[in-house]
Amino acid sequence: MEIKKCYIYLNGRAIGSVDNPAKFVNEVRTSRRKGQISGEVNISYMEKLGEVRVNTDRGRIRKPYIIVENGQPKLTTEMIEKIKRNEINFAYLLRNGVVEFLDAEEEENALIAFFRKDVTPETTHLEFDLASVFGLTINTSPFPEHNALARHAMSANFIKQSQGLYSTNFDQRFDSRGYLLYYPQVPIVTTAAYDYANIKSHPSGQNFVVAISTYYGYNMADAIVINKSAVDRGLGRSVFYKSYSDEERRYPGGQRDKFRIPPPTAEGYMGEHAYSKLSEDGIIEPEVSVDEGDVLIGKVAPPRFLEENIGAGGLEEKVRDDSVVLKAGENGTIDSVIATETTGATRIVKVRVRSQRIPEKGDKFASRHGQKGVIALLANQEDMPFSENGIVPDLLLNPHSIPTRLTFGHLLEMLGGKVGAVSGKKVDGSAFTTSGKNRIDEYGNTLSQYGFDRHGDEILYDGITGRPFKAKIFTGVVYYNRLYHMVSNKIQVRSRGKVQILTHQPTEGKARQGALRFGEMERDALIGHGASLLLKERMLDQSDKTSVLVCSQCGSMGYYDYIKRTAICPLCGGNSLEEIEISYAFKVLLDEIKSLHILPSVKLNE
Amino acid sequence: MAMEKNANKYKVNYGEPVGMLAAQSVGEPGTQMILRTFHYAGIEATIATSGLPRIVELVDVKKKPATPITYVYFNSDIEKNFEKSDAMSKKISEIKVSSLVKRVVENFSKSTVKLVLDKQALAAEELTPNQVAQKIAKLMSVETEVNEGNILIKLHTKSLKEIRVTGVRIMKKVIQGIEDAGKALIQQSKDGSFYVITAGSNISEVMKLDGVDKSRTYTNDVFAMYKLFGIEAARNTLANELRKTLEEQKISVDDRHLLLVADAMTYSGTIKGVGRHGLSGQKNSVFARAAYEETVKHLVNAALFSEVDPMKGVTENILVGKQIPIGTGAVKLAIKKEDIKKVKSGE
Repeated sequence: MEIKKCYIYLNGRAIGSVDNPAKFVNEVRTSRRKGQISGEVNISYMEKLGEVRVNTDRGRIRKPYIIVENGQPKLTTEMIEKIKRNEINFAYLLRNGVVEFLDAEEEENALIAFFRKDVTPETTHLEFDLASVFGLTINTSPFPEHNALARHAMSANFIKQSQGLYSTNFDQRFDSRGYLLYYPQVPIVTTAAYDYANIKSHPSGQNFVVAISTYYGYNMADAIVINKSAVDRGLGRSVFYKSYSDEERRYPGGQRDKFRIPPPTAEGYMGEHAYSKLSEDGIIEPEVSVDEGDVLIGKVAPPRFLEENIGAGGLEEKVRDDSVVLKAGENGTIDSVIATETTGATRIVKVRVRSQRIPEKGDKFASRHGQKGVIALLANQEDMPFSENGIVPDLLLNPHSIPTRLTFGHLLEMLGGKVGAVSGKKVDGSAFTTSGKNRIDEYGNTLSQYGFDRHGDEILYDGITGRPFKAKIFTGVVYYNRLYHMVSNKIQVRSRGKVQILTHQPTEGKARQGALRFGEMERDALIGHGASLLLKERMLDQSDKTSVLVCSQCGSMGYYDYIKRTAICPLCGGNSLEEIEISYAFKVLLDEIKSLHILPSVKLNE
Repeated sequence: MAMEKNANKYKVNYGEPVGMLAAQSVGEPGTQMILRTFHYAGIEATIATSGLPRIVELVDVKKKPATPITYVYFNSDIEKNFEKSDAMSKKISEIKVSSLVKRVVENFSKSTVKLVLDKQALAAEELTPNQVAQKIAKLMSVETEVNEGNILIKLHTKSLKEIRVTGVRIMKKVIQGIEDAGKALIQQSKDGSFYVITAGSNISEVMKLDGVDKSRTYTNDVFAMYKLFGIEAARNTLANELRKTLEEQKISVDDRHLLLVADAMTYSGTIKGVGRHGLSGQKNSVFARAAYEETVKHLVNAALFSEVDPMKGVTENILVGKQIPIGTGAVKLAIKKEDIKKVKSGE
């Protein structure tokens, strides 16, 4: 057989060739297992391409496997015993060539067995556990093998956004934003990943009693109905921390900021009322309730532009108000205040504002199966469906959310959660531990043992009419996360308000109390309807209407001279000017055209 | 009468913004159009540009479309008969020397150019080396000779340049078929009759052939249709091509919207694109043009020529904040309120 010359690529760059690639690759692997070269090196032989690829760079996804040699897994039963006795650890296995990490390319050269019994002489590696074909994020969902992949991706995102016990020293921290669940619970249905990743010590959700049912149209299209009484009992309740901080900065020229209640003479003074909650040192005290517009940290800064007569005649130094104000739409209680010094020896003050976030219409929740929903109704408990045992669900999920999304794991979790709730035991939802059918049978048996329907169905009665529903309603317990997208942080309204300086058009964005833009496409829609007066109202009357004086002789813009009590055209000196209504943007355009050395003139009709 | 009555029922109202409606009706489903085109069975779909690139091509009026196609229909006695249709197809299908030649060998000392023929290609076109040699001799007025299935061209010059240039020129010569018509492919329509599509467009030459049905044969090259048949044909071709391209992507737009687009592009007697160099760039209003593209250019030119904006369009009226002359703004009072008294007193 002809031995082809084989190129070697190191991190994608050709660095040489080798005559016997298989032997070379084997040698590299052996020395890696011996620890002679770094375990982070991965090598693969692409037989069809005649290439050997060596990768040592960062960013590769790698996964550990048990090495199998001559049909014998290197992880022996003695070793497993030792691990159980905590005598050896994973690093030991890695060092001694029992376990190694493969990247995506080296995986192509490997024959990996799922189970010990499947190991043949050709097998090169053995999987630790079937669940390890998924990563950590997917393994934090129970029954992941029953869900569509797209939902896993969403689920992973929702877990990132969930409120919970994000840190146990939250009261020491001054995070710019912190969301903390009042009563976080460990899920009833957990997976092995919950133990490995230590998630149980900082959970981020609660076990909700969920019925899959409609409710007078209030849970259409990913809306959810939540039991108001459950919310009153603390379901999904959380606290929102927001930190503000400011520093006494030094400026060139010896000037510096100063924390204090600004004097009324300060530039930009906000009025006595705004500073009323500050203590003498100009800093707010803990447990003071604050509202939007209240000053948290009073600070004066030197004026923006240097003036010559500073301190002249013993007058008080001119200062500018640079206080930290609670942002629009926010309120709460001062939770904690710290004052300290930075490394630059300037004083720094941090203030943490706390406010309760009780679930309300528009708040977002999600289960661990990528099933998200927004509260559309907080229904009174007496109006919600109830079972003969008197159980009232916390949450009503629309049945249409299941079939098209293929999140059967959600249904299994409902069943598993119910089993856990009635039996008082934790339920394991790790991937591939048993088949779906086995699970349903097992859960069904436990449920019927406790006198429940084996399929999880319940006869529910309409809370409003008191009549039983014709169909049995699937009811169970699901672990739901409260996500940090809450209306109270996003709500924004405006009828009148600030305008931009340049265009005189309304400002944009929540922080500037802005409006929503009536954009090009919206304009097109009104044109398409022929609604010319509505369009004019939107684009002119409610936007940047201005009236200007236009010279009826030369067509340039003039002004009204209040001393002479006449209108004057500065270009031709004429006095016959007409007032016209135009958009301020057009006035700016005319001014800008003038700056191009083009003289626009306005011709008036009649 | 009934028809006229019904037709009048669907007349648009005065001031209806038909252009905006057409733009939205085409634009909204157009956003769902995918760049990656689906290829269905059939050759037509594989050779024709489709989807968004084709729409852009039509609307911007490219002089030469990326994939011109001529649809050649035959007279009734030919189209039912495969042999006759196939013969017609052969007459149309363009075969260049380059498609038959594997390699060119120049011999400068003997002043010859040897064309090494591709035997498979030759067999596929049912041509013999002798036929090709004769044709070349005729087209180039040179002496040719067939040698071991290859063609030897003898030239009476010692100029190296001329020998090389001849070799290149020969490759471009058309042995058979119509120049620029492209490769012809015979197709069968649903009723069993045969027609030909070609991957090129030289419709005026194709029309000259006997047996071609001149009333049905057309091309997707809007410009070629305009040159041969005039502006009305170009307008119809435009609308048809737009509809066909949209239908390929399962997008249904009312024909009247597409016809309006086609009308707007052709009403002046020549074909205008919709972009900067066409409809939008030739608007009456300075402000409307400046609002679209090349703002400074339009403002400066307006200043140079002391242009007056008539303020009749939509864009410029929104800009200054006036009522737009569309829909409810299209109508005006015949008599002003103040004038009513005058009229009354005048009576």
